[in-house]
Amino acid sequence: MNIYLHEIRSLRKTAVIWTCAMVALAAMFLSIYPSMVSEADEFKKLLGAYPPTVRAMLGINLDYITSILGFYSMIFSFIMLCGAVQAMNLGVSILSKESRERTADFLLVKPVSRSKIVSAKLLAALTIIFATNVIFNVASFLIANIVKTADYDGKLFLMVNLTLLFVQLIFLAVGVVASVFFRKLKSVLPISLGVVFGLYMLGALIAVGENDDWARFISPFRYFDITYIIKNAAYETQYLVMGAAVVAVSVVASYIIYNRKDIHAVS
Amino acid sequence: MSIIEINKLTKHYGRARGIENVSLNVEQGEIFGFIGPNGAGKSTTIRTLLGLIRPTSGIATIFGKSCIEHPEVRMELGYLPSEVFYYDNMRVIDLLKYSASFYKKDCSGRIKELAEIMDLDLKKKIDDLSFGNKKKVGIVQGLLHEPRLIILDEPTSGLDPLMQQKFFDLIAQENQKGATVFFSSHILGEVQKMCSRVAFIKEGKIIKLEKMSTLQENSYKKFNIETKSAIDKSAFDIGGISKLEVKGNVANFIFKGNINAMMKKIAGLELRNISIEEPDLEEIFMHYYTKED
Repeated sequence: MNIYLHEIRSLRKTAVIWTCAMVALAAMFLSIYPSMVSEADEFKKLLGAYPPTVRAMLGINLDYITSILGFYSMIFSFIMLCGAVQAMNLGVSILSKESRERTADFLLVKPVSRSKIVSAKLLAALTIIFATNVIFNVASFLIANIVKTADYDGKLFLMVNLTLLFVQLIFLAVGVVASVFFRKLKSVLPISLGVVFGLYMLGALIAVGENDDWARFISPFRYFDITYIIKNAAYETQYLVMGAAVVAVSVVASYIIYNRKDIHAVS
Repeated sequence: MSIIEINKLTKHYGRARGIENVSLNVEQGEIFGFIGPNGAGKSTTIRTLLGLIRPTSGIATIFGKSCIEHPEVRMELGYLPSEVFYYDNMRVIDLLKYSASFYKKDCSGRIKELAEIMDLDLKKKIDDLSFGNKKKVGIVQGLLHEPRLIILDEPTSGLDPLMQQKFFDLIAQENQKGATVFFSSHILGEVQKMCSRVAFIKEGKIIKLEKMSTLQENSYKKFNIETKSAIDKSAFDIGGISKLEVKGNVANFIFKGNINAMMKKIAGLELRNISIEEPDLEEIFMHYYTKED
């Protein structure tokens, strides 16, 4: 419990900044929705002039774009990108920071097992992610209600927002497992930005491609097709399972590797 | 039961040497010195003992249990690393409280006491402390839960002589209260003052484990002889002599063995001057080192 509280205390500041950034992003995009709706036909014509591949890459669906859900799903990919970076940063740094800040000699000779340390830290990271999502959900819902021009399905809106949580959980777990492989990770940003943007670009390329269902397994950004969610009010089970599997495998591997890891002296 | 038990402990770092077949026991209530030059394997041994590093083979236990399988045995352990680093953005008192929270007892009284002895400002941010002051935080942090086993890895680096003295007094007090102390250093003087037994480590291997009293027993003597005529080096070609240096009619050496035999030998020489001294630990230490080469 003491480790958990210590972690929460040291993480909260950055968490607040990330949450604010994501809410601001949502507010910024949603604020242009009313003006877009008022010129819906012009806007559709404009987007219709884009090549279909570009539209696919940006997640634009002409049939839905003028509804608030459709519009939200288009901008949501940016919020998701932002959330993925937050989660990956958190995952990569949460265990590796003890070595980087050279405090491992302090924490790891305390009378607690490595597994307990991993659990406490994972729990702290999860708390931060959940808190971010709760605040973001409430805020985005409020903003959507302010800018809406017609009623929309609140349940669908929540389902779209929940994909942020899922994607964040995946990147958190991937970040943690990536970090335990390094003997000493000098800085977090290159690896987290690299992986997140790499997978994002890959996801965009997959979206453009032949809609190969197998290729979508490669990038977590493609696990949740928002158009599908809006149409069917459901997630695609196979990708949901895949996401859960990635999380489970990463977490288990992190425990095993971290328990076996040699903690070397600072030099 | 030994407080520390290290048996045939081996650690390889890939192809690089770590430690090889290190064995030693530290008994209840003793102050045990662990001596060797930098890079000899002192820290590797200690880190394996603490459970920070997994051994390639062999056993290292404290209170009869391995720290890796039974992390809870570290409840009675206090550790001071050679270089201390703590969470920079915390205040000293918060760090110490965080440290205390792992030991399930109220340490606030002891924290104040130790901070006073070490002259440490508890309200400062760790970030703002000098190296020496960080070291003091380390000392308080290692002792605040009144551990039964204290492991010190090069503890005095960065402390000024006055603080070193206070620190040694503190350790002696803890020892008197019953704490066992394991103390690594490359400075022999500090070990000589405190330890009851000492192990020498060199290139990953224990080369000697001896009682401090045995080390300083009369059997070791440092001879300095000056004769009237030139000394024949072969005259001293007998067992027990090391570090023999002959220059013209002056000879220096360390002798370990029956003093009478040596005196008879010297009686046959025409002496101009002689001094026989107690060698300090450093010389005995060097004696082991050169012998191994």
